[in-house]
Amino acid sequence: MQPLVILFLITLLPLFGWSEDDQPIQVNLAGEPYVYTEWETFTTELTNGALINDHIFFVKTDGDRVWIGTEEGLVLYEKGKWKSWTMEDGLPWKVIVGIAISPKTGDVWLALFGGGLARFSAGRFDHFHQLNSGLVNDVVYAVTIEGDNVWAATTAGTSCFNTVTGEWAIYTEKNAPMEEIWCYNVDAADGKVYVAAWGGGILEWDVETKIWKDYRDPDKEMEIDLYRDDGLIHIITTSASYVDKILWASTYFGMSRYDGRHWRGYMDHDSGLPSSFINFLRGRSGTSCYACTDKGLGVLIDFESDTWVRYNRDTEDAKTWTAHVMVGNQIIKSLPTNLNLPNHFLICVDFQGDDVWFGTGHGLARGMGNGYWNGLKEIKSAHNAGE
Amino acid sequence: MKSRTVDHLFIPILPFLFLFGSLSAHSADPVYVGEQKCRECHHLSGNRNQYTPWRLSQHANAYAALAMPESMEIARLSGIDVEPVKSPICLGCHTTASTAEDWEKDPTFHPEDGIQCEFCHGPGSEYMPAEIMQDKKRAKEAGLVMPDERFCMVCHKEKGSHVAVLKVKKFDYQEALKEIAHAGRGGQLSETPAKNITPRPGPKFVGAIACGQCHDTAAGGYQYSKWHLSNHARAYAVLGTEAAKKIARDKGIEEDPQTVPECLRCHATAGAEPEDGLLESFDLAQGVQCESCHGPGSEYMAEAIMLDPVAARNAGLMEVNRETCLKCHPQEVHGKPYDFEAMGKKIEHCKPQEIQTGFVEYKTPFNLAVARDGKRLFVACEGSDSLIVVDADSGTVITEIKIENQPHHVCFSPDETRVYVSNRGSDSVSVIDANSYEVLNTIPVGDEPHEMATDVKGKLLYVANCGSYDVSVVDLVEEKEIKRLSAGRGTWGMERSPDGNHIYVTSNLSHFVKFRTPSVSEVTVIGTERSQVVERYMIPEANLVQGIDFSPDGEFALVTLIRTKNLVPMTRVIQGWVINNGIGVLWRDGRVDQLLLDEVDSYFPDPTDVVITRDGRYGFVSSGGINIVAMLDLNKMKQVLEQASEQERKELLPNHRGMSFEYIIKHIPVGRSPRGMAISPDNRYVYVADGLDDCISVIDIEKRERIRVIDLGGPKEITLARYGQRIFHCADITFGKQFSCHSCHPDGGIDGITYDIEPDGIGINPVDNRTLRGILDTAPFKWEGTNPSLRRQCGPRLAVFFTRSDPFTLEQADALDRYICTIVRSPNRYLMGNELTAAQRRGKEIFERTRDNMGNEIPLENRCDFCHCPPYYTNREVFNVGSASWLDTNEDFDVPQLNNIYESAPFLHDGRADTLEEIWTRFNPHDTHGVTNDMTKDELNDLVEYIKTL
Repeated sequence: MQPLVILFLITLLPLFGWSEDDQPIQVNLAGEPYVYTEWETFTTELTNGALINDHIFFVKTDGDRVWIGTEEGLVLYEKGKWKSWTMEDGLPWKVIVGIAISPKTGDVWLALFGGGLARFSAGRFDHFHQLNSGLVNDVVYAVTIEGDNVWAATTAGTSCFNTVTGEWAIYTEKNAPMEEIWCYNVDAADGKVYVAAWGGGILEWDVETKIWKDYRDPDKEMEIDLYRDDGLIHIITTSASYVDKILWASTYFGMSRYDGRHWRGYMDHDSGLPSSFINFLRGRSGTSCYACTDKGLGVLIDFESDTWVRYNRDTEDAKTWTAHVMVGNQIIKSLPTNLNLPNHFLICVDFQGDDVWFGTGHGLARGMGNGYWNGLKEIKSAHNAGE
Repeated sequence: MKSRTVDHLFIPILPFLFLFGSLSAHSADPVYVGEQKCRECHHLSGNRNQYTPWRLSQHANAYAALAMPESMEIARLSGIDVEPVKSPICLGCHTTASTAEDWEKDPTFHPEDGIQCEFCHGPGSEYMPAEIMQDKKRAKEAGLVMPDERFCMVCHKEKGSHVAVLKVKKFDYQEALKEIAHAGRGGQLSETPAKNITPRPGPKFVGAIACGQCHDTAAGGYQYSKWHLSNHARAYAVLGTEAAKKIARDKGIEEDPQTVPECLRCHATAGAEPEDGLLESFDLAQGVQCESCHGPGSEYMAEAIMLDPVAARNAGLMEVNRETCLKCHPQEVHGKPYDFEAMGKKIEHCKPQEIQTGFVEYKTPFNLAVARDGKRLFVACEGSDSLIVVDADSGTVITEIKIENQPHHVCFSPDETRVYVSNRGSDSVSVIDANSYEVLNTIPVGDEPHEMATDVKGKLLYVANCGSYDVSVVDLVEEKEIKRLSAGRGTWGMERSPDGNHIYVTSNLSHFVKFRTPSVSEVTVIGTERSQVVERYMIPEANLVQGIDFSPDGEFALVTLIRTKNLVPMTRVIQGWVINNGIGVLWRDGRVDQLLLDEVDSYFPDPTDVVITRDGRYGFVSSGGINIVAMLDLNKMKQVLEQASEQERKELLPNHRGMSFEYIIKHIPVGRSPRGMAISPDNRYVYVADGLDDCISVIDIEKRERIRVIDLGGPKEITLARYGQRIFHCADITFGKQFSCHSCHPDGGIDGITYDIEPDGIGINPVDNRTLRGILDTAPFKWEGTNPSLRRQCGPRLAVFFTRSDPFTLEQADALDRYICTIVRSPNRYLMGNELTAAQRRGKEIFERTRDNMGNEIPLENRCDFCHCPPYYTNREVFNVGSASWLDTNEDFDVPQLNNIYESAPFLHDGRADTLEEIWTRFNPHDTHGVTNDMTKDELNDLVEYIKTL
């Protein structure tokens, strides 16, 4: 299905929100966001068992390939075909909660929840755990690649494995500004590595200077944002994503964006986020980010205009999900979709070209990006639209 | 050892200390201060004249002795291929603080002073103040060590290399103690007020150590060391002897001769000089130094001046002649006649010494490549560190190019303008102009590079790194490595598929497998489109997968392999059931077949390389162990496979010694230890590198025989070591010629396999294979530590347990022993210069710690450096570290040397630990193998990083 054009409505209609004193304010949509209305859904049942488990903990795309980490093993989806690896196939540990692919070597690195790290390389699994390697702990939440280094976020700190020298480095409260060593996520790009520490904010590692820097919530552990945009929205962080030199960070109390100078915070009551409880996010660009919440997918389409698309089921018994186009927290347009996953507890998301994939507590979905455009498409005037 | 207590005390006052700029990064660490500092109290004070007996002992000359020709020979025998003065192994027992970093040594410390006080008594900075030294308890708490016999024996235990060269008698500890006796304590310390002396204008004395900074190189003939070994250098010290005192008394001198100007005039440089003529670096106690003869050096010592003889002379450098010597050496001195000519020869120190070590440089060709027009052969020669270019028609050597250490493999760029040579001893690839033979560049790659291949376009070079178990991908435009790909273990051979889409890489070692299960080896397939690994063939029950070649149509690749039945006792060799030798057939669809090249009563040991003729009809496999190249009919080989059932292909053929006659059509004798091979472009000849004959055999494919031998010009003399090398690679000694020493010790290293050697039951007392690199002085041998010498190890024991045939003759055992001694230990890949990384430095502290993290003192015998003490990091004893398993009947095992330990995985006596970490995380539950269970994970990581530097 082609994306729906919503030109005349959103350009002409002054929309109203509520200011702090509950006075309606006018909201204008600066341009037309792309809305995923056509979806494919995958569950164990729908795939006749090819998707070996419905608990989808991670999804990672690599060209035509989609790697899926589940509670029972590793799954590969490629051009309509499925392949899977369980412990019977040599997978060292069944619960896969993170996947990273080395751009240099093509090796697939797996974060094994309770089992350490695995390298899956051309059919061979290599297992690295706290007994046979320098990995700090076997409860690995996330993995990412930075040059020749493999970074792992674990429950007892962050490990960095140099695949050329074989050296392991460990970062904990001893040698990093880590108030908490429970590291939930790690991401690397453009000479930076970001670690999301549960209760410890975001830590930034500069690859060149090898110096850590920490970002914490100036409001400490308050579950409200006392002074908006004064820093990271909360220290209980769950993921970080660095793209176009913009840091996106998710917490259990909202989402943050940081451009190196200014912070911007988002919570469910002041944005298009379905919930402030965010399990994971991934930046698609410096102006767009996809947040996986416990109540659906919140997509900031355009930072400047604060334009969002929120995907979730409107009611518990709704058969399909609805896409809500929003500016700030104001719904401008609601569009039906064919997405019918029963669970909207989103855990992971990734992009494959124009498509988007996300995993939930029950099944996997792929949004078809036919005719996809980035950001906001220019809105024709009402006059033109009328024509 | 870093004192954390002191560090903590410092914290509150840190800002103030920074203000004064007085806090160094290692302020609380004990550092080495040098004998000169010790001497301040232990010489000429009370009865503390410990300096004199030390300076007259061999300890003081230990460093200088490394410059002697004998030291070179000992180094050679010890598998050390650098100057002894640069070898950590030699320095470990010939100088003090050899493992210390620069920051651990004060400027007053000089390694040239050999085995000084602090070698035995520990770095002195913390205990040296007189008020501490007067209280023995305090001194010990501050780091003063009183060594015992065990400590001395670390260096003085018999070393085969030293015995062979120096013919030294057995070390007697009690006698040696008497020899170095330097007791003495008590008495008043002299209170010498600090003098503020302004140096006078003009030439001043700088001292021999300053001269030695430039004059102690091999090229310069080790002038400083030669002097240090001379009586001149001891001239001051001898004044402290009873004999000197008697001479003095006879002359009416009652004072200590070391303080009397009359004696000092000829027993010490500048002995009668006022102090303003001495620079701070000058030390009178160094005796008759360079400047006694050459004049005070302050004005001419600068390198720029010394390089200009006229300028040096004008600046005060004096020419030495008879008159110079006669000042102190008239016709007779103290009743001894003086012969100027003889003495001149004795102290000669201007010519580089000619070193006769008995070392003969052979070529030892390993691999070769043929130019596309067939006119030139390029031969990589490991022994001579060179690439030899041969005219293929005439068989003459066109040129020989010296490159880096141990060239192993050679290949061309697709346009043949460049030749690439891997240097496995230098971790590099040499880029050579194929026409001018100029070495254009040297590209660093991974550890121990072996075979190589380019992509079709010549943009990338793939290098199999045997030591780091990976493949370097080198950008040939930029001429630098751009990435590493994880491969099998012991990455070895390499070949590009005929369609150019894939690079196949063989692996010498099996993957780690579960304890007491068969090997499985990998052939890695790299896709050239993205330069990434796309497939991995697994070859069950095989190891030493080395050579590889493709059928011209790309239908299959052949690899050489051996099948080691290491789970049964080796004594079953007599049943022909320990090592089988064969080939693997890797089909395009991923299938793997294995076939043996052995026959029922005649084996094909050490299959090393394989080539396939350009028409795909024949294959040739070299057997390094019996000096044969087998010619295979590949159609018949395929027929054998096609006619077999699936089960037969899987279970029968891989072990069937009765099938090889079906596809081997000829055994062609060649030279000793045939290794790499190449086929001529016209498909007429097979060229074979005869590694231990320094020749190339030329096989005529049509005639199926060797028709010519190309001599690479190696020495014709066969040394004892070369003879031993031939024995090492020859399978004649084993029952049925099943295997050679080299089969289990490729490249002198390991095959990574745990063996069941003795006939004590299946699986009882399994032992991990150990390296032969640089092991001569690490006796005893065998994991039980019961063999005192290599000769014993390679003698009767070998015949009883391994070969099941007549033992080596004494002559053969001698030769084998000599060769094994010369197997070089690779340079350490984790030690970058003298400086440790931060992690390594932290690891060193843990390695040397005396207290655990709770502050409890670790019992001496449970400290890392008790058993693993430098320079070999073994005390050469047997010890029970609780590593025995239910399969062992013995609990005490040899303490293994730790040098380059990272090359020797798996670890522990039975190879149960795949990684160094596992030694402590899995197999040290009760802290019997060092106290390690108190460590945090990062501390263990640091310890591992340090251990890898040893």
